[in-house]
Amino acid sequence: MNKTLTINISGIIFYIEIDAYEKLDNYLTAIKSYFKHTEGGSEILGDIESRIAEMLQGKISVSKQVIIMADVEFVIATMGNPKDIAGDENANESNTEYFENQYQSYDTAKKRLYRDGDSKVLGGVCSGIGHYFGIDPVWLRIALLLLFFFAGSGFLIYLILWIAIPEAKTRAEKLGMKGEPVDINNISKKVKEEAEQFKVRMEKYGQEFKDMAGKNKDVPKNTVDKIVVFVTEVLMNIGKVFLKIFGIALIVLGVILFISLFSSVFGISYTAINLEGKEFIDLMLLDGKDLYLGLIGISVFVGIPVIMMIYSGIKLLFRIHYSNRWLNLTTGILWLSGLSLLLYVAVKTGLDFSQEAKNRTKTELMPYSQLTISAQELVINYGEPLDEDEDFNQEKKNKFGDYSIGELLGKKYIFGTPKVNIIKSQSNQVELIIMKEANGGTEKMSYHRAESIDYDVLQKDSLVYFNNVFKFDLKDKFRMQKVKAILKIPVNQIIFIDYSMKHLLFDVDNLSDTFDEEMVNRKWMMTEQGLKCLDCEGI
Amino acid sequence: MTQTAENTKAQMRKGVLELCILSILSQKDAYPTEIIEKLKVTKLVVVEGTLYPLLTRLKNSDLLTYRWEESNSGPPRKYYMLTDKGKEHLKDLQLSWLELVETVNQTIEKNS
Repeated sequence: MNKTLTINISGIIFYIEIDAYEKLDNYLTAIKSYFKHTEGGSEILGDIESRIAEMLQGKISVSKQVIIMADVEFVIATMGNPKDIAGDENANESNTEYFENQYQSYDTAKKRLYRDGDSKVLGGVCSGIGHYFGIDPVWLRIALLLLFFFAGSGFLIYLILWIAIPEAKTRAEKLGMKGEPVDINNISKKVKEEAEQFKVRMEKYGQEFKDMAGKNKDVPKNTVDKIVVFVTEVLMNIGKVFLKIFGIALIVLGVILFISLFSSVFGISYTAINLEGKEFIDLMLLDGKDLYLGLIGISVFVGIPVIMMIYSGIKLLFRIHYSNRWLNLTTGILWLSGLSLLLYVAVKTGLDFSQEAKNRTKTELMPYSQLTISAQELVINYGEPLDEDEDFNQEKKNKFGDYSIGELLGKKYIFGTPKVNIIKSQSNQVELIIMKEANGGTEKMSYHRAESIDYDVLQKDSLVYFNNVFKFDLKDKFRMQKVKAILKIPVNQIIFIDYSMKHLLFDVDNLSDTFDEEMVNRKWMMTEQGLKCLDCEGI
Repeated sequence: MTQTAENTKAQMRKGVLELCILSILSQKDAYPTEIIEKLKVTKLVVVEGTLYPLLTRLKNSDLLTYRWEESNSGPPRKYYMLTDKGKEHLKDLQLSWLELVETVNQTIEKNS
């Protein structure tokens, strides 16, 4: 006993067994799909159905009233399989164009970059790119492997590509991936084709415009629509080109930024061993590992946006429309951790600068009718100049702003330049005030630092020698150590400022408003109003 | 080798199928099953299905037209017949076919 269904083919009713029905239904559905895009497809299908009805009619009799599997199989054998039926016509029917378009769209228009999961070594990146450009992926793998030895950039590029390029999963995607390779030849072919199409379209529109002009100025709505569509199309194509250029620019810029970031970060941590760059950074930071924390922080903080730049460039260039939530989340978190790391190091370091302290000492100098003020040059070894070509700044290579690191009597110190000022003394005494300043995390620390700055002024008869530098210990770190020396002289006191003081004088007030650097090599006398030059006449 | 030969034969049959259908219909109006019966003798058509798209195309090109006729065994049948344009077309095809056969035969004889 079998269950039967009632069906209606071309207006004739049949009883049919379920399995036979399914077979027949599949068959007709298949034919239908083949003729979906053919002109008169439904008519063909109708003809075929009515022929099937005719054949099935011949299969039933008084003793056999139900269509069984064998009948359907006979019908199918007689009619032929759907591919044969359609295949004959598709080769020369009006739908050739459709098939060509379909072919073309798989070919170049829909050519997309995918990862090839079927022939992968790691993620199928190389094989995918190989398909895209028609290159043997082996070469790409070798190139990538070589790049790996350039600071591991091969690894990074691979990772970005892996994340950016989706894997070809569906049949259409695989077809799109394997289509005609994109090379110069078929790009120019494509451009020519498009130019040709463009010309044809323009001629068509031109004709329509002419027709329009002929038929009054009544613009048919249809034509307006067409123009809008056309303009949109043109704009979109231009937009696409710009997006690609933008994508390339992003990639190039990203790679340049990445290389410079990488080399500078790597440079700091690498050259840190013996160069002053690291020494000063070290002197700023609280402890050595902060340097590396800061470097990691800055690499992530700047590196992530740079990598995302390359990533979006690749997506624009290869028209990849797919976003990876996991990626966005991870990069976001990474970026924030980089930022926090940087902030941590910055705040921690900044806090150690928060307190400021001054150490003030006052000494009286021996009075002479005329004092000569001169600088005492200390013999400091600043080390070999880094670069022989840079002779303009050769004497102090280990420089960091106004500070430099050097050796005095075989010991390393940080040296700074004091600021010397000359003002009027309220008493009759010649006084010297030395103010030492420094910062620190606590008041105590900063005071201690200020105190430990070493600065001397010596008097030898009428000669007053200001050391040309002050110095402090490396272990005191760099905490804005400053020295101000204030020479207070009474009214009518005459001084001669030696040439060697040129760089030490800082903002010395005088009656003739002479600049600090021009005050040297001259005699000055303190008056009630201020310092007065005694031998500046004629200048 | 045999596969290629089969393929070539199929292509040849396809090319002359249109001519044959038009010739059959020039004798008398016919419905698809009749046409197929005649074609089967010539081994031009292996499966029936291939005929329907071709008939529709010829009809859409105004070479054929049809009328409905009731049938005793099944749904009404489409009886196809040649249009004037179809008759012209057939003459044209017959002529070029004869020419083709002649030149092809000559070519084959000369080279065998």
